[in-house]
Amino acid sequence: MKFSYNWIRELVEDLDYAPGPLEHLITMKTAECEGIEATGALLDRACAARVESVESIPHSHNVKAVVDAGRYGVHTVVCGAPNCRVGLITAYVPVGSKVIDGVESQGMLASAAELGINRDHTGVLELEGRAAVPPGAPLPGCVPDSVIEIDNKSITHRPDLWGHHGMAREVAAILGRKLKDPVRAGILPPGPGAIQISIEDYALCPRYSALVFEGVATRPSPLWLQYRLTAIGLNPISNIVDMTNFVMAELAQPMHAFDADLLAGDTIFIRPARAGERLRALNGEEYTLTPANLVIADASGPIALAGVIGGAATSISEKTRRVVLESANFNAPSIRRTSAALKLRTDASIRFEKAQDPANTVRGLARALDLLNEVSPGIRVVGGVADQMKAIPTAPLIDLPLDWLESKLGRAVETAEVRRILESLEFGVSETAQRRFSVRVPSWRATKDVSIKEDLVEEVGRMVGYDTITPQAPLFPSVAPPPNEGRKFQHEARQIFIDLGFTEVYKYSFISEESALAFGYDPAGHVRVGNPIASDQALMRTSLLPGIRHTILENAKHRDAFRVFEIGMEIHAQPEGLPVEAPHLAAAIYDRYGDGAAGLFELKRAAECLMPGAQTCPAEAAPYEHPARAARILWKGETVGRLFELHPTLMESGRAAILDLDLRPVQAHWTADIRYAPIRRYPSSAFDLSVIAGLRELAGDLEAKMASLAGPLVESIEFVRQYAGPPLAEGTKSVSFRLTAGSPERTLSSDEVGEIRARIIEGMRRLGYELRV
Amino acid sequence: MRQRLPDRMEDFILMLVSSIEELESRALERIAAARTAEELEAARVEAIGRKGRLDQLFKEMGKLAPEERKSAGQRLNAAKQRLESAIQARQGEFASAALGARLDAEWLDLTLPAPGPRRGHLHPITLIQRELEELFVSLGFAVLDGPEVETEYRNFDALNIPADHPARDAQDTFWLGGGNLLRTHTSPVQVRGMEALGPPLRMIAPGRVFRNESVDASHEHTFYQIEGMMIDRQVSVAHLIYFMKQMLTAVFQREVVVRLRPGFFPFVEPGFELDIRCLLCGGSGCPVCKQSGWVEQLGCGLVHPRVLRMSGIDPEEWNGFAFGLGLTRLAMMRYGIDDIRWLQSGDLRFLEQF
Repeated sequence: MKFSYNWIRELVEDLDYAPGPLEHLITMKTAECEGIEATGALLDRACAARVESVESIPHSHNVKAVVDAGRYGVHTVVCGAPNCRVGLITAYVPVGSKVIDGVESQGMLASAAELGINRDHTGVLELEGRAAVPPGAPLPGCVPDSVIEIDNKSITHRPDLWGHHGMAREVAAILGRKLKDPVRAGILPPGPGAIQISIEDYALCPRYSALVFEGVATRPSPLWLQYRLTAIGLNPISNIVDMTNFVMAELAQPMHAFDADLLAGDTIFIRPARAGERLRALNGEEYTLTPANLVIADASGPIALAGVIGGAATSISEKTRRVVLESANFNAPSIRRTSAALKLRTDASIRFEKAQDPANTVRGLARALDLLNEVSPGIRVVGGVADQMKAIPTAPLIDLPLDWLESKLGRAVETAEVRRILESLEFGVSETAQRRFSVRVPSWRATKDVSIKEDLVEEVGRMVGYDTITPQAPLFPSVAPPPNEGRKFQHEARQIFIDLGFTEVYKYSFISEESALAFGYDPAGHVRVGNPIASDQALMRTSLLPGIRHTILENAKHRDAFRVFEIGMEIHAQPEGLPVEAPHLAAAIYDRYGDGAAGLFELKRAAECLMPGAQTCPAEAAPYEHPARAARILWKGETVGRLFELHPTLMESGRAAILDLDLRPVQAHWTADIRYAPIRRYPSSAFDLSVIAGLRELAGDLEAKMASLAGPLVESIEFVRQYAGPPLAEGTKSVSFRLTAGSPERTLSSDEVGEIRARIIEGMRRLGYELRV
Repeated sequence: MRQRLPDRMEDFILMLVSSIEELESRALERIAAARTAEELEAARVEAIGRKGRLDQLFKEMGKLAPEERKSAGQRLNAAKQRLESAIQARQGEFASAALGARLDAEWLDLTLPAPGPRRGHLHPITLIQRELEELFVSLGFAVLDGPEVETEYRNFDALNIPADHPARDAQDTFWLGGGNLLRTHTSPVQVRGMEALGPPLRMIAPGRVFRNESVDASHEHTFYQIEGMMIDRQVSVAHLIYFMKQMLTAVFQREVVVRLRPGFFPFVEPGFELDIRCLLCGGSGCPVCKQSGWVEQLGCGLVHPRVLRMSGIDPEEWNGFAFGLGLTRLAMMRYGIDDIRWLQSGDLRFLEQF
């Protein structure tokens, strides 16, 4: 929301703060300012001037004009505007001399857009037909201004701050100045309204006030009004419409003017739309409505979308002679829903969705009447104010114990100071007991903003200044926080992987259907984003692998070999309720060269560093896995993940080994219960055995078979090496193991060791293996 | 062959003495002249080896009278000791020369690169997050987790942002259907913390959040926040400022100047925006603080009584403060990252700098 500094100054007595310091005060005490912009800079030098003569300049589209600027003298200017003609009263700005097209131009004639009055830059400003401005006189009501932009988010809760009067009240309270009320309520004529109002549901429309005018003459607004609206970003249209926008920008009360002669019947209905009713709006769009949309209607149908936008059919035009001026109050959520459903946010809907003050409607009409008398001379009110409402709830009283207030702020506050602050913001204050106030909330703060004593902590706190509060350590018992084992584990896992050379990546939680399909995942099985940022980011990842693959392909453009990992959530849809979020660790080793085996074993080593004793068991490959290089990872009896090479068809170059772990079971088994075991005192004996086996027999299986034959005295069986080639028969290999035997009670005799060895050899032979001994 | 006996014993002794002297000086010459361990060994064998020349002289001594034999023996032994120590000294020389030669042959170029992968790198957000977790745990705060997919209730309603509340505009939401959404802030973990642990409560919750925003150099639809909450019997704004200063001083590793100004967040009352004096220009104004001298850091406030009540906590008995700050923003400030998109790029050229 943009605020005109000049406007605020008109509403605060003796405002002697410049825009900069004022902006700072507003930021510190009320709402966040996003910046100040100067507007109308030329207006401090601009004056009215009469074009005395116009002469063309050879080979130029510009003309040479002589203008009479009254007390600023007669000057020759070069002007390119098509409307520059003898007798025109326009705006002259002495900006210094400059030679244009060989002619010395002493200053310039300015368009309304250049001056900041409106957006018309088709020609120089025309002052005829309005109040006569003598040459040399300044443009009436137009002086340079500063526009203070307030962050809309910071006034979401403050319906009153959507108008200059509300902001002026803050400024007056901050500076201890007096607030001026632009509204003269007494000028409204008494008596019944000249139009009937029928509100179907007061919950949706708590109040509807209207005033009928005749003798309307539609024309451009005076310069000062155009300039005001332009300065705060509104577009001047015509005197009637501009006046409604002015009242909205001043009092935060949106208004709408209907051409009374285009209304059917003598009653305005405020009711939910009937299903399928249509309205062509002022923006040229046609909307098909539902009963969720509140409309303003006449006997023939909708004439406006309540609180959002007016209809085109009954809008103000040059032919308008009679006007129905609406100043109403609508239910905030209802307006917000309609505005969201129709994707139509307007200056009116933005205000109404903040819950405007129903007490404000008639004030708006009084202000409008004052302004219309000025901008539409000859206008007359017909009848009194038509005003339908349910009883406006009396402002709530809040019990405010001042000691409690102090304990919340962490700072002492004087009784008198609290009273002064609250009263400056027009809260009603009465002292019900020692250090205890009963506070009445003003109507413009009572709709949603202020209802409990905590709200008053903010009012007092911001006004005394939060910088007056000294930081203070609390005097609470020191308690060790409950541990978060999951996070501890994940940090440990990260440490292990970076120590092994892996770099951590973060990838998006969104994947495309295409990449789901590339991995053989069913897109239908994914949690789907209803309103994705792009169609290729519509699915929630059920695996970290598409992201890891993306990381591999991207980095392979710059590197020949690298290691990466990610710890992140897989999101799995459930029939109902929240999805299951499974923390996973996915790690990859990429190598442009080589046969890919080294990467797989390095990843296996990484898995063993994280999970000592983890085993790899060959498993049927998933569609994205190399069909002959895929294994399950088994740890402490549970499958915890997979080790595989990414299917070569998913790669552009090189090979990628991948480890994908479900961290839930890993974490569950991770907290090791460490118990010391005494060191063995008797020496062990070792011997080697080499088993002849088929080429694709698994060393792990051979080891397991030997282990089953070994008996209790064998302490360990370790793979030593394997060999294939002559003199071994084709299709076979020799796998060597070192076995260690020993006893905690004694040294084994060589006979005992020999017996163990013989038993294993015999057992393996019975299983069909030849041994090289 | 028998040696001819001298006529007189005295002459014999004189001859023996001169033989010892001659033998010793000749042997010493050979020892000194030896160029290899082998030559030295040959000299040793010849001089003092079994059946060596000295040994022969010992044998000759048998011809002497006992008293003369003693003095000759002493001479011989002394000569033998001198030769032995000369040999030992030279042996030592050769051994150390041999060791030196062997070790020299093992010369290595240690400027060659070490084989194997370099240490990997933690993500910058992990670094900041871990730092803050450690800080808050040391201050007695629990670290809590919440899901990335949340219910509309916990993300909004339970935080005093009912449907049709304009505050929902500030948080463009990814909707998933079934009343679920991608959490737009870590604040729902407040609700989970209150529900699970109850008062008194000190907690933080770092995590990934989502906003439906187009991505550019300073906007992301996926970013990280850290949420914090403290519920106790008499928590004040002064306590809040104290903890925020502690945190920011730790994060920026120097004393920071903070200021509070009004800010609207429906789940706190009063609510604040907290700024720190620009660390780059010290408050005099620069592009980073947009010439204001202050940089917005976080939103915070005293927990709204309605939020407490919705989580089953009596606001007349307990109250507290809450805060939320952007980890992503913090990481960008700390490391001077000028484009937010690097953070989720997975690009090693970026990640290897941390």
